[in-house]
Amino acid sequence: MADDEQSGASSDLAASIADTEGGTGCGTKGDARGDVLMADAEGDLGGTPIADTEGDSSAADGEKGGIGLDDGRQGGASFASGGRRESREDAVGSVRDGDADVRNARIWLQLDKLRPPKLVEPRKRKKKDRHARTRVAFFRYSYYDIAFKYFVEQVLDADFVSLPEPTKRTLERGTLNSNDFVCAPFKHILGDFIDALESGADVIVQFAGPCRLGYYGELQESILRDMGYEFEMLNFATLTGKPLADYIGVCKKKVNPDLSVPHGVRGMLAVFKMIECLDEANDYYLANAGFEVEAGSFDRALSAYHGAMRAAVTERDIADAQRNGLEAMKALPTAKPVDPVRVGIVGEYFTAADATSNLGVERKLLTMGVELHRMLNMTNRNLRYNEKNLRAGISDYVKFDMGPTSSMTIAAAKRYVDEGFDGVVHLKSSGCTPEIDCVPVLQRISREASVPMLFLSYDSQTSDTGLDTRLEAFYDMIARRKKVLL
Amino acid sequence: MTQTDSSADSQMLLAVPTKAARKAAASTVAALLSRTDCADIVRVGIPRALLYYRYGVLWTTFFEQLGREVVVSDISDKDTFDAGERISVDECCLASKLYLGHVQSLIGACDAVFVPSLANKGHRKGFCTKYQSLPDLVANTFYDRELRIVSLLVNETEEKIDEKSAFIALGQRFGVSAADAKRAYRAAFSAQQRADRVAARAQERLMARLDQERKHAQDQKPDRDRTVEQAPASAPRSGAPSMEPPIDGQLVAARPSQVRHEAPLAILLVAHPYVAHDPFVNGGVVDVLESMGASVLYADQTDHGKALHESFEFSETLPWIVNRELVGSVTLLHAHVDGIVLVSAFPCGPDSMTNDAVARCIQGKPILSLIVDAQSGTAGLETRIESFIDILRYQQRGGYLHG
Repeated sequence: MADDEQSGASSDLAASIADTEGGTGCGTKGDARGDVLMADAEGDLGGTPIADTEGDSSAADGEKGGIGLDDGRQGGASFASGGRRESREDAVGSVRDGDADVRNARIWLQLDKLRPPKLVEPRKRKKKDRHARTRVAFFRYSYYDIAFKYFVEQVLDADFVSLPEPTKRTLERGTLNSNDFVCAPFKHILGDFIDALESGADVIVQFAGPCRLGYYGELQESILRDMGYEFEMLNFATLTGKPLADYIGVCKKKVNPDLSVPHGVRGMLAVFKMIECLDEANDYYLANAGFEVEAGSFDRALSAYHGAMRAAVTERDIADAQRNGLEAMKALPTAKPVDPVRVGIVGEYFTAADATSNLGVERKLLTMGVELHRMLNMTNRNLRYNEKNLRAGISDYVKFDMGPTSSMTIAAAKRYVDEGFDGVVHLKSSGCTPEIDCVPVLQRISREASVPMLFLSYDSQTSDTGLDTRLEAFYDMIARRKKVLL
Repeated sequence: MTQTDSSADSQMLLAVPTKAARKAAASTVAALLSRTDCADIVRVGIPRALLYYRYGVLWTTFFEQLGREVVVSDISDKDTFDAGERISVDECCLASKLYLGHVQSLIGACDAVFVPSLANKGHRKGFCTKYQSLPDLVANTFYDRELRIVSLLVNETEEKIDEKSAFIALGQRFGVSAADAKRAYRAAFSAQQRADRVAARAQERLMARLDQERKHAQDQKPDRDRTVEQAPASAPRSGAPSMEPPIDGQLVAARPSQVRHEAPLAILLVAHPYVAHDPFVNGGVVDVLESMGASVLYADQTDHGKALHESFEFSETLPWIVNRELVGSVTLLHAHVDGIVLVSAFPCGPDSMTNDAVARCIQGKPILSLIVDAQSGTAGLETRIESFIDILRYQQRGGYLHG
């Protein structure tokens, strides 16, 4: 297990490779969470945390070293079932010595009550010009901004504020104003909202959802208001379980008082159709772009297709764009071997599907010449989702719903393994409880089927180069295995 | 030849129905057995971790009512945690690692371990997904060990299974009639209610006493000013006590020994029950606070229903019931405490989205926010709490702003 040692270094991407062949795989695991911890001191959200108890950063420092080492050992230890327990055994004694017990202590002294004890302070709404069109923005999420735009323009009949590509500052400000331990998507989205509000949005939209997502909206509204931004938040989480009339009422109140319901319903169906189209095209792209003859041809075709979809107004436009886009991609020459290296991508809803959050892991794998599959997308997770039936197929492993995307993660991994894929990559934001709980299940599937899995955990500090190294190592391993097995 | 044939035939004819009957009987038995698949369990193990600190009485009483022996794992220590950490994914929270350590310690000590899956008790009354996934997490972590798991599901919003029906169904799997299972649940439920009520009442009494002591101390404040007055710097205040000579005089006469006593310090400890009541997890924060003369009130020992209701004033969409009760408790008890200590086990998902928000939005009292990790000493903790207590004492004596 000499491999383990290399990972103690301060790499910034938590990753581990589970391989089933005893010591042959290379497991690396570093961690950035130590760094994140320290970022807290200045990241106060209003209020007046005047005293940050001394000795804090040094405590965090010591912790950081400890963790890096610890993870390295454990990452390495997760290869083989045989040597697994012993190798962890010796890791523990040495690592825990001298641990500081308190990672973070902070005192808040706001002794005057400047606000009522409410998360979102009630306030008087600004009277708005009834004839002005409202500018609505969403957060960034993969290519779904196309569908969000269609929703805003065709369903809400308002103006859509398109966000430019995110910058370093986007995530920095999102992180600075969030709690450190909150999942990375929260930080990304908070940064997106700041960008949106500074680009002139009046209304920002947040979804309802399971786990922490359902609470994102209210907390983000609270943070943004305390930062001094003025806006309306269309938070669908406040409407869960309520009748359609309430949805329409809120949209009318916050976005467009002249909202046409029949037009909106028809538009909504078109949005669903559009999401299915986008996912279908993306599936084709993932499966084939790795074998393009002319470098960049698939990316060009995909972005031309996205452009056409973005311009779509009617259902007819959507269908045309879809047909043309798929035809264009299918017409591109590829050099796909008979038995290509196939990798399945599984993981958490936001990180696995959003290229900005996962640092373009898909593009990187495609460049290596891999056929990619990803079950997780809005079509499969939202529009055609049936948790119970998905879970029925994996009843050997789990009996309960383990969290928002857990059943899909496990079912997808199982399917890829059964279909003889060469590897599975698991993506999640660090600290994502439900996906962390999936890891032991995935490790078991990996071990039983002898299919390597790469576990990647992202936080706001994760860097590109660390990811490259790991992906290359993983690719080399699965490609070599494929050759040996043939 | 023909005779033997016919006799064989008749034998066959006789044999066929008996075979069918036997088969039917066997399948009935199998069906009954599968419905009572836990009937052979005599000793039920319960890990002393996570929601044990919230539902421990309920769980223990329920299995005891079913005539089972309950084995609760030992109090957490470093060994338990180390064992749990070794078999956990390293990103898991401290409490989750500790839980797995407790489960491991129960292997061999009982016939089956009780690991429920708790998803929610209704809309906006959910549990952290950790509680939802525990049975599967345990099963997959220990899949190569001999570990039997008894579980149930509470999920009111999606599956319409409430706690009561889940426990009654579980009771029946232990081979008990529906009526007996119901009775067992009822007994367990009221035992838990009683325990919660006793804790809440005790806390209310303590709070009333502290309020009274604080009032006394405040009444004596002019008197204390006089003692301070002896120091040359506070001369300008000398007028204050003479304004109310009768009260002052009475009090001093009645309780002379109290004069120099400082007012009590009431600290509200806001933490998940498994943090607040497990000294291993919280690093002995309660002892440290009490050793510095503070009285500790627990946010999880306020009346749960009241606190939950109150929490909707703070947040509309907060999804977790335990965090809701804690937040509601903070706003309910805010006027009765001098300071608030938030303790979170690293890295807690729900706390990451509530503790900072509480500290930012609930203003008027000093707040200390601590994030605790695996324990190996309390030096760091003590320093931090000490400085916090100093702030509170200083505040009590007039403070930064109102002096």
